[in-house]
Amino acid sequence: MRVAFVTPRYGRQVVGGAESAARQLAEHLVESTGWHAEVFTSTALDHLTWRDELPPGDHHVDGVLVHRFPARATRAREFYELDGLLRRAPALATRRDAERWVDLNGPVTPDLVDALCASGCDVAVFYPYLYYPTVRAIGRVPMASVLHPAAHDEPALYLPVYTDTFGQADALVFQTMAERELVQRRYPVAGRPQLLLGLGTDPPTPRRRPGAEVLGTDARPYVVSVGRVDEHKGSKMLAAYFAEYKRRRPGPLSLALVGPVAYRPPEHPDIVVTGALSEEDKYDVMRDALAFVSPSGLEAFSLAVTEAWTLELPVVVNARCGATREHCERSGGGLWFGSYRQFEGVLDRLVADAALRRELGARGRRYVDRHFRWPVLIGRYARFLESVAARGKPLRDAGAA
Amino acid sequence: MTAAQGAPADEGDVIAREGGPVADDGYLRRVMAEIDEEVRARRHEIPVQLERELDEMFLEHAPVAVRGGDLSDALGMVDQAAVIDPVVPVASRRPGGSAIKKGLRTLNLWYIGWVAHQVSTLGLAVSRALHSVEAQLRELDERALPLGATRVVEPGSAASWWASLAVDRLRGTSGRVLHTACGDGWLVGLLETAGVDAYGVDPRPGVVDAAELRGADLRHEEPLVHLRAVGRAGLGGAVLSGVVEAMEPARRDEMVRTLLERLGEHGVLVVHSLSPAAWLAEDAPVDADLAPGRPLRPRTWAHLLSPMAVETVEGPGGADYVVVATR
Repeated sequence: MRVAFVTPRYGRQVVGGAESAARQLAEHLVESTGWHAEVFTSTALDHLTWRDELPPGDHHVDGVLVHRFPARATRAREFYELDGLLRRAPALATRRDAERWVDLNGPVTPDLVDALCASGCDVAVFYPYLYYPTVRAIGRVPMASVLHPAAHDEPALYLPVYTDTFGQADALVFQTMAERELVQRRYPVAGRPQLLLGLGTDPPTPRRRPGAEVLGTDARPYVVSVGRVDEHKGSKMLAAYFAEYKRRRPGPLSLALVGPVAYRPPEHPDIVVTGALSEEDKYDVMRDALAFVSPSGLEAFSLAVTEAWTLELPVVVNARCGATREHCERSGGGLWFGSYRQFEGVLDRLVADAALRRELGARGRRYVDRHFRWPVLIGRYARFLESVAARGKPLRDAGAA
Repeated sequence: MTAAQGAPADEGDVIAREGGPVADDGYLRRVMAEIDEEVRARRHEIPVQLERELDEMFLEHAPVAVRGGDLSDALGMVDQAAVIDPVVPVASRRPGGSAIKKGLRTLNLWYIGWVAHQVSTLGLAVSRALHSVEAQLRELDERALPLGATRVVEPGSAASWWASLAVDRLRGTSGRVLHTACGDGWLVGLLETAGVDAYGVDPRPGVVDAAELRGADLRHEEPLVHLRAVGRAGLGGAVLSGVVEAMEPARRDEMVRTLLERLGEHGVLVVHSLSPAAWLAEDAPVDADLAPGRPLRPRTWAHLLSPMAVETVEGPGGADYVVVATR
């Protein structure tokens, strides 16, 4: 079986959620099934510029053949002007403007589309729905197509150009039920073959040293948040909430923000910003934390949450985030906050109640073990891809595509 | 005793919630309810202006329309923002700045105060109107609650007399075949064995989970919600079993109408239903007393599904029947 993965960026250096999910799926698929996986992607690392940073051509990355194509243009200022205009009422955008938005959003890689169509692969996997390679290729490929939308409730999802993108997918894979509900509210894809998959979670690395040592603090209790430290990811809000919490609850508790820093919160004696850490250091910090906080309202899955549960860490999530709240509700492994007062109440309770922390962590762990361990997940995914490839392109055969 | 000190549930203890199963014996809800009660008790501890700023920060990067969004929460924000404070802060880092600001504020307060008063009046009027809308929505929601999840009554099993009939009529269908309520996928499995591209939905929480984890295309969804998200002529066939007997008439009509739109050319619809006589019998399911709907007679189905060609097959003893409609 030959599987083509189509994603705008690819590589260990790429931090983006959808892109690293595509990479992990491709690598685990090759490792577990012995299938042949090829990736069709751009030479860019930065999704804001699509600047060529990696050499074009064919490369092997961790057992996967990667075809890289340079983007025809970097992202222009015009994109932001149009984006600002369309995001006010995206569903009312003209088809022409929406098409232009896709081209300006990039990465414009027509050579990628041609090479994919000529690749002879059995099935093409597109991840995510948003970018040029998916929009321009999904209706052209001769093989069956599987779309991983990785959709958020964002303005772009409502642009009319995506009616075709979703309409031409032969099958869909969702990360959460919340994502499926969101997509199906907008696009009539319920009758297509679907898989509710999520993302695989690796076992944690073994303990090397105390988390406080990694953080460079004394042995004080702390809560941890892992992921890009970014205003859009809720880091600014979390830092402000925690600072207020400490003003009202003086004591030893601190907050560790672990991950690449796009936003640096104001200096605070109880907030530690580590920057990106190795996997070992990251797990050491998480392992000794009292609780894990995911402040983002816009997660499509949140691998960080499932990683926290592998360590049986209780989780606190943004109440408005469909994906992480769904994880908490399905697993029983986490609490949520929708205001500062609720944040304070949740944190008070978790800090004071060790039995609650243990119970939440244990429930979260059971949930991850049942749904998101790689061998289980890849087995389901491989069976799904086989069935989609066997079905071929019934939409096109019926003249609907 | 707090919820956290209570006995935890088994993993398999699953209850219903919109959108999916909840691995919950009420434990998580009890914990959150306790926290919320504590939070409510502290509502006057934080200065209004500070709380408003903190909550605005929360909303800045929060999706509005997804699950977890609550109209009451949003209205709370409106309430907090409805009153405009004309007394601007006068703190300054520059020498004399504070005195200058204070002077300007005093000079302008009559003007700004007048405007702010009108804006606040408008804000409060809008807030009151929205609260009224919210109250009406809540009332409607409460009234609609009994109409929530579809009741599933005797949806059948692989041993059912009509299973082979359904497979036979759907064999060779062009396009996907939907089974609702699919349970653990017993009919989907039989159809797939017969070479039919089948999948299923079931409104009962937890019923499809194990089979879905094994890779079957089974989903926990409300049948009507699902059908609305299927493209026109997107189905080659459909089987309704266990869902039509207890369904309230308006929803049944809507489901039939939607289903007929979703069936493609030469589409086949198989409806399994208990008979009205079985519904009135002493040993009828309790839903016969509790449900808003009742089974239709085969000829009523023929009327509803016209102008499709309709075939009726009665089950042993007349307790149930199958209607097969072909476009």
